[in-house]
Amino acid sequence: MTQYIVKRLLGLLPTLVLVGFLVFLIVHLLPGDPARLAAGQDATPETVELVRKDLGLDKPLPQQFLRFVNGVLHWDFGQSLRTKRPVATEIGERFMPTFWLTVWSMLWSVVFGMAIGIVSAVWRNRWPDRVGMTLAVSGISFPAFALGMVLMQVFAVELNWLPTVGNDTWRHYILPSITLGAAVAAIMARFTRSSFVDILGEDFIRTARAKGLDEQRVIVKHGLRNALIPVVTMMGLQFGFLLGGSIVVEKVFNWPGLGRLLIDAVDMRDYPVIQALVLLFSLEFILINLIVDVLYGLINPTIRYR
Amino acid sequence: MKPLYRMLTAALVAAALAAPAYAAKDVVFAVASTFTTTDPYDANDTLSQAMAKSFYEGLFGFDKNMKLIPVLAESYTASPDGLTYTIKLKKGIKFQDGTDFNAEAVKVNFDRVTNPENKLKRYGLYSIIAKTEPLDDATVRITLKEPFSAFINDLAHPSGVMISPAALKQWGSKDIAFHPVGTGPFKFVEWKATDYLKVAKNENYWRKGYPKVDTITWKPVVDNNSRAALMQTGEAQFTFPVPYELADVLKSKPQLDVVAAPSIVLRYLSMNTQQKPFDNVKVRQAIAYAINKQALAKVAFSGYAVPADGVVPDAVEYSVKLGPWPYDLAKAKKLMAEAGYPNGFETELWSAYNHSTAQKVSQFLQQQLSQIGIRTRITLLEAGQRVEKVESWPDPKTAPVRLYYVGWSASTGEADWALRPLLFGDSWPPKLFNTAYYRSDKVDADIKGALASTDNAQKAKLYRDAQQTIWNDAPWAPLVTEKLLSAHSKKLSGVYVMPDASFDFTDIDLK
Repeated sequence: MTQYIVKRLLGLLPTLVLVGFLVFLIVHLLPGDPARLAAGQDATPETVELVRKDLGLDKPLPQQFLRFVNGVLHWDFGQSLRTKRPVATEIGERFMPTFWLTVWSMLWSVVFGMAIGIVSAVWRNRWPDRVGMTLAVSGISFPAFALGMVLMQVFAVELNWLPTVGNDTWRHYILPSITLGAAVAAIMARFTRSSFVDILGEDFIRTARAKGLDEQRVIVKHGLRNALIPVVTMMGLQFGFLLGGSIVVEKVFNWPGLGRLLIDAVDMRDYPVIQALVLLFSLEFILINLIVDVLYGLINPTIRYR
Repeated sequence: MKPLYRMLTAALVAAALAAPAYAAKDVVFAVASTFTTTDPYDANDTLSQAMAKSFYEGLFGFDKNMKLIPVLAESYTASPDGLTYTIKLKKGIKFQDGTDFNAEAVKVNFDRVTNPENKLKRYGLYSIIAKTEPLDDATVRITLKEPFSAFINDLAHPSGVMISPAALKQWGSKDIAFHPVGTGPFKFVEWKATDYLKVAKNENYWRKGYPKVDTITWKPVVDNNSRAALMQTGEAQFTFPVPYELADVLKSKPQLDVVAAPSIVLRYLSMNTQQKPFDNVKVRQAIAYAINKQALAKVAFSGYAVPADGVVPDAVEYSVKLGPWPYDLAKAKKLMAEAGYPNGFETELWSAYNHSTAQKVSQFLQQQLSQIGIRTRITLLEAGQRVEKVESWPDPKTAPVRLYYVGWSASTGEADWALRPLLFGDSWPPKLFNTAYYRSDKVDADIKGALASTDNAQKAKLYRDAQQTIWNDAPWAPLVTEKLLSAHSKKLSGVYVMPDASFDFTDIDLK
């Protein structure tokens, strides 16, 4: 197991190098001159040249790439072109808010989504299923920004129960995590349901019932474990997506997270920030996949690692 | 309850004796985007510069109506040749770190921005300065490289502020952006880039009795609806901009006031005069006639705009009222026929912005132009595309821009910066923003002449002539001047949105 993890971690390096190379190229191919954008609308050509020098964009592309690689190796991602603060600081400040928001959203949406999914599967095609799936379809189809605005209007503006924007206290987390988790809960519910419906038709479930186990044990012990594998995969994927910072939710709730940073960075062609963010997102995905793989083994001991 | 009540009263009395009896006056401004820097010399966005007015002041400035006023300066005299400016400074003013504001400080600040080594974004605005010399403690002489009659307006521009030389020395030219020290009414407290920037009352402010509030928290909130929500819950006392579609919602709240202020933001449709068919003045005039500006203001700007009545907006110095350009379809069709396009033609219509207002404007223009047979393909340019396809296009001959919807706000409040970047023959992209690729020898001579002259009457005459010529040549179809919508709590007073979308909060007070 340990050997497997180490092997996977080593395999991570070439992937990151490839991602780094691609993202550098793509970012520099984006239309628009960052020096001009940074210098602003009423800048003269001399000013644009000064800014270009200041940002280090006057050097040839290969040289910029070497500088970027060298920097990354020394854990230095450069300075933001927009704010001139170190990229590591910019990202560091925003990582934790996004992380905690992701964790809370995942937590309630997984619990809620799986519960709905199981109930729907057990009482398939009866009213709990209908109610659950109606909720799930609404969750998927209701756009996050609209949900966020409605929640804010009702609970913050009209009722005054919760704060509108920011992330200072736990109460600030409630509305954004509901908004962010709604779609995930819906997806989890549908996934759990279909996975569970399949499992409940398997031979070993019939055997379990035949040997006289009570229904609760059949469902929780024999059903749930086996149904979990695809659900955990989906969970990992969703977690990875949310960690990238939801642009929409972070905008509506003015959340100081990575999604807003990414948008600002793309608007201003802030190369160093975009590069570091994409690298970070890839790293997160790879790590989450690894964790998911390890979880497989915990859920189903018959899975072996090589 | 009684003992508790008595204790509270006693505590209150004690507090009242210890300090003047008022609650802390904390104001929150909800603004639309994050700040790029606190250093006005290195900022290109109006918002960062407006925020920096909390702690910085310039030698000159603009009042809330964009009239030039002396701030740290007492007065100035310009030499007849327009090359040297002698400025008398106010005496006894100190920076927030206790050091003196004097002629030497002025020199340090202008030497910093004019030194290309420092690579500041506002270098272009001040590169005209040849040298700055302190004559005595309160007098400074600035010599220019060439006569530039709009120079005092450059000094009044929100970027031209006085930073404490001691702080500059301590932190260096780059890091001063994180430790601003000026002469202004508020002291910098902290800047959490993700969340807010906070400033607190400068107890030793030179204007006695000011500021009247204790702190201002500048809170960037990107989403329009969220900003409006913040105003409704009372978490913020002032917000700008208010999107048109939310104006009515906020107006209906008893605790809020919504203000529509006049602006110098001019919206126009520029036409590439070097390319067929826009090289024909009749076609350009026909386009200007074919657009109903009144309806445009109503449809796209929800009535928060007025038809443009000239090439230079009203509040800008030396502007001349020439319009609005009438809406006359019959005349437009006649001109098109005379120009040889009775059935119109096909062309591109680009918008410099991709927000929803620009989308409405573009669609409206498309519909209006179709009335005279001009069929347009609309593209809303994203910032990067705009830079690539318009602003830094290297060769004027191949420039792909045709009809281009854009706007301009002359941030120095003077006709020079409203005309020279946009309509001067040497200002074609990629140098500046003459997106019409317009060149008129007469206009060029007028602009040059006015820059070299220090005689106001002479300048006014030259600028009048330039504006009249441009109006007749119609390189643009002038559309509208926007109104600036802001909202504030009824308890808050003394905060104004200036015509250039900066803020004036000298008199800020909270009830």
